[in-house]
Amino acid sequence: MDILSRPGRPTLILAIALTLLAVAYIGWKVTESPDQALQFTITGLNVGAVYALLALGFTLVYSTVWFFDLYYGAAAAIGAYFVFYLRAGQTTDASYDPANIGLNIALGAVVAGVTAWALHTAFFERMQGRYPPLLVRAAYLLIAVGAGGYTTILLLYPDNLHQIAAPLITLISTAVIGTVLYWALGRFGFGSTGSSRLVTIFSAVIGLVAGATAAIALAQTPESRLYISWLVSCLLAGAVSLALYRGLYAFILLRARSTLIMLVATLGVLLTITAILVMVFSNTTHPLPASFGNNLLTLGGATFKEFALFAIGSAFLGFAILWLLIRKSPLGKVIRAIGDDEQVARVVGINTTAIIAIVFFIGAMYAAFAGILTGQDIAIQPRMGLELLLKGWIASVVGGIGNLYGAILGGFLLGVVEQFGIWDIAGEWQDGVALILLIVFLSFWPRGIIPRR
Amino acid sequence: MQIRQQAISRALSQLPQALLLSLRNHLEIWATVVVVLAAASFMLSRGTGFSITLMTVFAIWAMLAVSLNLVLGYTGLLSVGHVGFYGIGAYTVAALTANPRQELLEGEIIQIFAWPFFAALPVAVALCGVVAFVVGVAFSRFRDDVYVLVSFGFAIIAYNVFVNWQWVTRGPFGIHQIPKPAIFGYTINDDLEFLVLTLAFLAIVVGISWLIVTSSFGRVLKAVREDEDAIEVFGYRSSRYKLAIWVISAMMAGLAGAMLATYTSFVDPNSFILLESILLVAIVILGGLASIWGSLLGALAFVLLEEGVRFVPFLPPEHVGQVRQIILGTLLVLLMLFRPQGVAGRFKL
Repeated sequence: MDILSRPGRPTLILAIALTLLAVAYIGWKVTESPDQALQFTITGLNVGAVYALLALGFTLVYSTVWFFDLYYGAAAAIGAYFVFYLRAGQTTDASYDPANIGLNIALGAVVAGVTAWALHTAFFERMQGRYPPLLVRAAYLLIAVGAGGYTTILLLYPDNLHQIAAPLITLISTAVIGTVLYWALGRFGFGSTGSSRLVTIFSAVIGLVAGATAAIALAQTPESRLYISWLVSCLLAGAVSLALYRGLYAFILLRARSTLIMLVATLGVLLTITAILVMVFSNTTHPLPASFGNNLLTLGGATFKEFALFAIGSAFLGFAILWLLIRKSPLGKVIRAIGDDEQVARVVGINTTAIIAIVFFIGAMYAAFAGILTGQDIAIQPRMGLELLLKGWIASVVGGIGNLYGAILGGFLLGVVEQFGIWDIAGEWQDGVALILLIVFLSFWPRGIIPRR
Repeated sequence: MQIRQQAISRALSQLPQALLLSLRNHLEIWATVVVVLAAASFMLSRGTGFSITLMTVFAIWAMLAVSLNLVLGYTGLLSVGHVGFYGIGAYTVAALTANPRQELLEGEIIQIFAWPFFAALPVAVALCGVVAFVVGVAFSRFRDDVYVLVSFGFAIIAYNVFVNWQWVTRGPFGIHQIPKPAIFGYTINDDLEFLVLTLAFLAIVVGISWLIVTSSFGRVLKAVREDEDAIEVFGYRSSRYKLAIWVISAMMAGLAGAMLATYTSFVDPNSFILLESILLVAIVILGGLASIWGSLLGALAFVLLEEGVRFVPFLPPEHVGQVRQIILGTLLVLLMLFRPQGVAGRFKL
């Protein structure tokens, strides 16, 4: 961030002294009671996994559009709340039913809009020459309405989620497996020897078969509903994010003079969505249905849930996926180009609006998954969005904003430092510790641990 | 004759356009008329007692809005941390003046000062200034998005302190039985007199703000807002100016908090959550950036909205706050789309 001046020599000495002091304090504490230190480290890593996921998505979005999207926090809350919405029957008594037809229809409309936009962006230009435009428009509008209706039905009958979601799962698994297979085959030299079309068809068929098998298997296990609801929540949060970008931010960006405008606009979005969540789900804290991994493990003197391992693992998996996407895929190249200079990217023929919309979709999915992990670990409440947003923001600033390595490192560092910081004081000061870490970093290393090149 | 008719019909056909243009160019005047008329009719229809309450709440919010506008509108620093100073002011007055009735908290004896209000007020304002100075030394290096982030942080730390520093703040239950202001043995118990007192403080705040923004100091602030690097080149230490206005603004917010404490006669941490601060930012932007009149207007509109939503039919009472929040959030988005300087503003964000 060039807006912050580089620190001079006195500040550097002060910073190093402060760091040494902190390290010495932690070292003293660790030698005093190693078991407790281990416990704190593991708890910190567990919490840090959530922060790392948040920071990954946040840094992806920020380093592409260079403004802070505060909807990001609401995405985390939406993710967690839709798991609750879809699975409320498993946690609360029968008298409490959050089902809300207005919400279902609104989300159906959002999905329909997003589908229509996606089809239009992907196919309209190509189909225009071959078929009459009216026909093409009608076709994708029909598909969009179908997708919207499907979403509404999916939300209407949460008890049959595992069956209704089968087409969705088939679609996603087909896409994922097919893409991976296509990539792998091309990697081993099948794609480049003139048999490209054959490879495509082969990957698609294998993907479809595998996807359909997975969907059928899931449709016969009602226990999978919770995990399907995770997927659906992430997708919904992503769809809302995409719709917000394409339907709102893109227009504000046209006339925005500074990044503060976007910040305030997204603040308005955050306020509105938080209020809607409170209206629909009330202001109280809710538990999410129990997932796997509630057994306690012991390591040395520390005890933790198996779920902690899952959280940490998913943070690393999330990092790996994002790293592959950004560093290795053609899409990533385009995203980095937009991050470097959006105007130039547009000039060389990149559809920046479409790519940024995809980035918003991916970022919101990361946020939603982090929100779900928090909800599964602790509980959900409407204000969690703002808190998670702040943590993700802090973690990405500490790690070095715009840098994937920095994001995951900053997330885990923030989690661990928070735990060690409240060793001697009450646990309520956790947020304070996080913010002190932030201010220290901003004052002394404004570009974070690993600055963006 | 024919020509005249044509001219009239042409003028008539252009009337809607002209009205729209006038609405856009003189939105400030139109908004003032509408808001003041709405406030007047609302107050007339609800009676005197309600009007006094409404005006008192308005005066407190207006103090806050004017103080934030100094930082946000004139200096261009989007601070979401003002609720912290609002709370510090309120809690200082509360802790210093509370009546010696609730002395025990979980077996611990709490120091009771039972000071008079007018002795506690300067302490509250000064404490806000000191805290703002300490925080501001760290903050005044930052700008733009980073400033928002750290001010978010300040608001959250302040809230944590209010909830957890039980020895002083008595935790989530808050401090009750804060006395009304008394001066020379005369207690201001009457609502109308209290309103006059609050309005007097509002006048002082507005007066000081006006003096600041019309002085050379204010011009430097505006220059910092427009281009901080350029003003540094001219030899001004922009961080000192940012620190100074931050401290002044914090003291004004503390004053508003002090008035709130003695007005509601109890304080608890729920009045000082981050959301209040975001609502305050919404008020200032809605009213108009870099316009003191706009802040007053925004505060009045906000108070009207807050009370008006209560009388919407078919709305469950527990949703009143949420509807208000949705309206303000949507307004923020719309303002950023169509009028980034707010209704009466002179600075586009």
